[in-house]
Amino acid sequence: MKFKPFFLLVFAWVWVSLAGCLPSPRPDRPAGYLVIALESNPTHLDPRYATDANSVRIGGLIFNALTHTDQHARLQPELAERWEAVDERTYLFHLKKGVTFHDGKPLTAADVKFTYESVLEPRNRSPKRATLRLLKAVDAIGPYQVRFRLSAPYAPFLENSTLGIVPTGTPSRGASGENSLIGSGPFSLEQFSPGEKVVLKANPSYWGGQPGLSGLVFKMIPDAIVRSLEFKKGTVDFIQNDIEPDNLIWFKKNTNASILTQQGTIFQYLGMNLDHPILKILEVRQAIAYAIDREAIIRHLLKGLATPATGLLSPSHWAYERSVPYLPYDPEEAKRLLDHAGFPDPDGDGPLPRFKLSYKTTTLDLRRRIAEAFKEQLSRVGIELEVRTYEWGTFYGDIQKGNFHLYSLSWVGITDPDIYFNLFHSSSIVPYGNNRGRYRNPEIDRLLERGRNSLSPEERKQIYSRVQKILAVELPTIPLWWAKNVVLMKRNIEGFVPFPDGDLISLKNVSIASPLPPS
Amino acid sequence: MKRYFTNRLLLFVPTLMGSLTLVFFLIHFIPGDPVEVMLGETASSVDKEALRQELGLNQPLGIQYIRFFSALLQGDLGRSLYEQGTVAELILSRFPATMELTLAAMGIALFVAFPLGILAAVKKNSLMDRIALLFSLLGLAMPNFWLGPLLMIIFSIELGWLPVSGREGLAHLILPSFTLGMLMASILIRMVRSSLLETIHEDYIQTARAKGLSEWRVWLKHALGNSLLSVITIVGLQFGALLAGSIITETIFAWPGIGRLTIQAIQTRDYPLVQGCVLVISTSYLVVNFLTDILYHLADPRVSYGP
Repeated sequence: MKFKPFFLLVFAWVWVSLAGCLPSPRPDRPAGYLVIALESNPTHLDPRYATDANSVRIGGLIFNALTHTDQHARLQPELAERWEAVDERTYLFHLKKGVTFHDGKPLTAADVKFTYESVLEPRNRSPKRATLRLLKAVDAIGPYQVRFRLSAPYAPFLENSTLGIVPTGTPSRGASGENSLIGSGPFSLEQFSPGEKVVLKANPSYWGGQPGLSGLVFKMIPDAIVRSLEFKKGTVDFIQNDIEPDNLIWFKKNTNASILTQQGTIFQYLGMNLDHPILKILEVRQAIAYAIDREAIIRHLLKGLATPATGLLSPSHWAYERSVPYLPYDPEEAKRLLDHAGFPDPDGDGPLPRFKLSYKTTTLDLRRRIAEAFKEQLSRVGIELEVRTYEWGTFYGDIQKGNFHLYSLSWVGITDPDIYFNLFHSSSIVPYGNNRGRYRNPEIDRLLERGRNSLSPEERKQIYSRVQKILAVELPTIPLWWAKNVVLMKRNIEGFVPFPDGDLISLKNVSIASPLPPS
Repeated sequence: MKRYFTNRLLLFVPTLMGSLTLVFFLIHFIPGDPVEVMLGETASSVDKEALRQELGLNQPLGIQYIRFFSALLQGDLGRSLYEQGTVAELILSRFPATMELTLAAMGIALFVAFPLGILAAVKKNSLMDRIALLFSLLGLAMPNFWLGPLLMIIFSIELGWLPVSGREGLAHLILPSFTLGMLMASILIRMVRSSLLETIHEDYIQTARAKGLSEWRVWLKHALGNSLLSVITIVGLQFGALLAGSIITETIFAWPGIGRLTIQAIQTRDYPLVQGCVLVISTSYLVVNFLTDILYHLADPRVSYGP
């Protein structure tokens, strides 16, 4: 047949025309807005329902609370000018005057009362209701004083004063979408498209001073490589922690990018089932701690973005106890302890293990690689580790039921040291709390009960110091590392101060200096 | 034929019920607890139990199953346990994005596959044929999670022509739809080529040539028209694959579609939302299969659907 080049020409022409007809992309942001990439979707910006880290951090920019935690997890005044413990069951908060919501209405004690009562209302199904279970009543005493009455003394109650305040009458979950939420914070909600983006607009009449930016765009980009590519292209200005250690290397030589790293509070640990006949032996747990080379994992897999941990509380926390035993990498000591515990290696350096354990983890690439490192390191002392990877929901379901030998998870957003009660008190053994390893120690129980009832910060510090020392010896969980916070941002961003817990509140003080040259 | 289509429409119901039943039991049998996700780790066991009771999750699975179907018959898909809003609202807000992506991917696949497939058949064993087959081989060999970032690096970072991810305008649609459509295009190129080469040796083609028709007319009207049946079959089947494949593509390109919603719903054990997403995906699949049957008839009126 005769071939007609005409056909090819038409085909090429159609393609070229289509490409030419494409509208030029719309500007990816309004002028003066900072674009921040997030890995996961914030589910509820309403502070009464926000539990995931991104919801809490974005909500902190829209709403004010009575207090906020500083870099040492100490409470600092926000809407409250000051507060006092009238007695061990009563707290009185004095509110700042002149604070208004985004719609111009004044924020008063009635709004505080409404917010706390709507959390307590069972029909509203707030996940925060459990933390307020000892709150008996909230009284508005005049427009600027709020009294909280508890049914029993409970020192960690003050931690609940970080709950964001919504205006009286704000509907509960489900009554409407969250696009109309009103707060009193430095930014107001402009648009919330779940799974896509959250847009905040600067609040020019913010009581703490007008923010330096016109607004913020939080873009949900689930894939780590794509977040890095967006930053490289310039369509994202700021990424905090949602960046893989491997990808960070790309930006080390980029003149337009600046990287901040800072000690964080996210605590990674190795959980163990203490009802297991082998793991209930202290020497075995110590041997496992000696056998794991945390520093090698941090250096090679985490690219230095963590520091070896001695316990749950990070060094920046007010109750942190420095002088606790730390078991360094020492495989010979691990072997000696295992021999002593009655688990001799059946064939020396041969293939037969002393015993076998399983380790559960998620399907995330980094988690799997860490699991393989544990497997290899434990095999050097004669422990065979069977790594089992699961989809997150299945993994978490098993852990919450206490169905595991070994697993690793992290604790995020640790503020009050009363978290120890939930993790190590015998009454918190799953399913009643998060004592997943089923640790029982009457002395720890007594200390934790005293810790939550004492109102004296000095006494509490002493109590939790003792708790940390006991746990570092008994090793119901093996501390692994505290993840560092990593911020990748454009070099012309000024004024950002990272918080150990990843709080983004200092974005209110951020400004953009001048446009950057193309990288 | 009318009866055939009525029967097909009636078959929708048991097929949908079957897929929903399967998913209902599968999602309930795998470990994981939506109440843990809803109330968080600090909630007391009393609160968790109270919520389980309120949501009916403590009832026997059979009762929950009956309740789910009776609500469904009343058009109520329920409320999401984790996201805000009803299941219907959530799906309606995400489904257009997925359909946009899937249809664009299909459009690109057809637009690429037909010219290349026809050229490859017409110029069999030529350079053009080899290029088309190589393109097809590459498309089959490259997974979405690799092709997507590769296209981003070339067209967004190096050339700066297109945006990297997100769903803002038409330009944002190009890379994800090409990524998603590439596999379908690759299969179709080979289908179009082989179907044409089979048909071109039929007697009626020789007759058409003997009538003095131009070669292009013979290929495009007589050969292509009659080889469309097998291509339509593949297009219909591949539509389901596109919907399923969109889950990965949506994640890579931060495309706010139903694929990502389904993954989130499964991860958080959001039972009503998983059911809703499965309902929509199954329905789409059935509708496309139904349309494929109609297209069969239009493409070849000889195709019979019974008495």
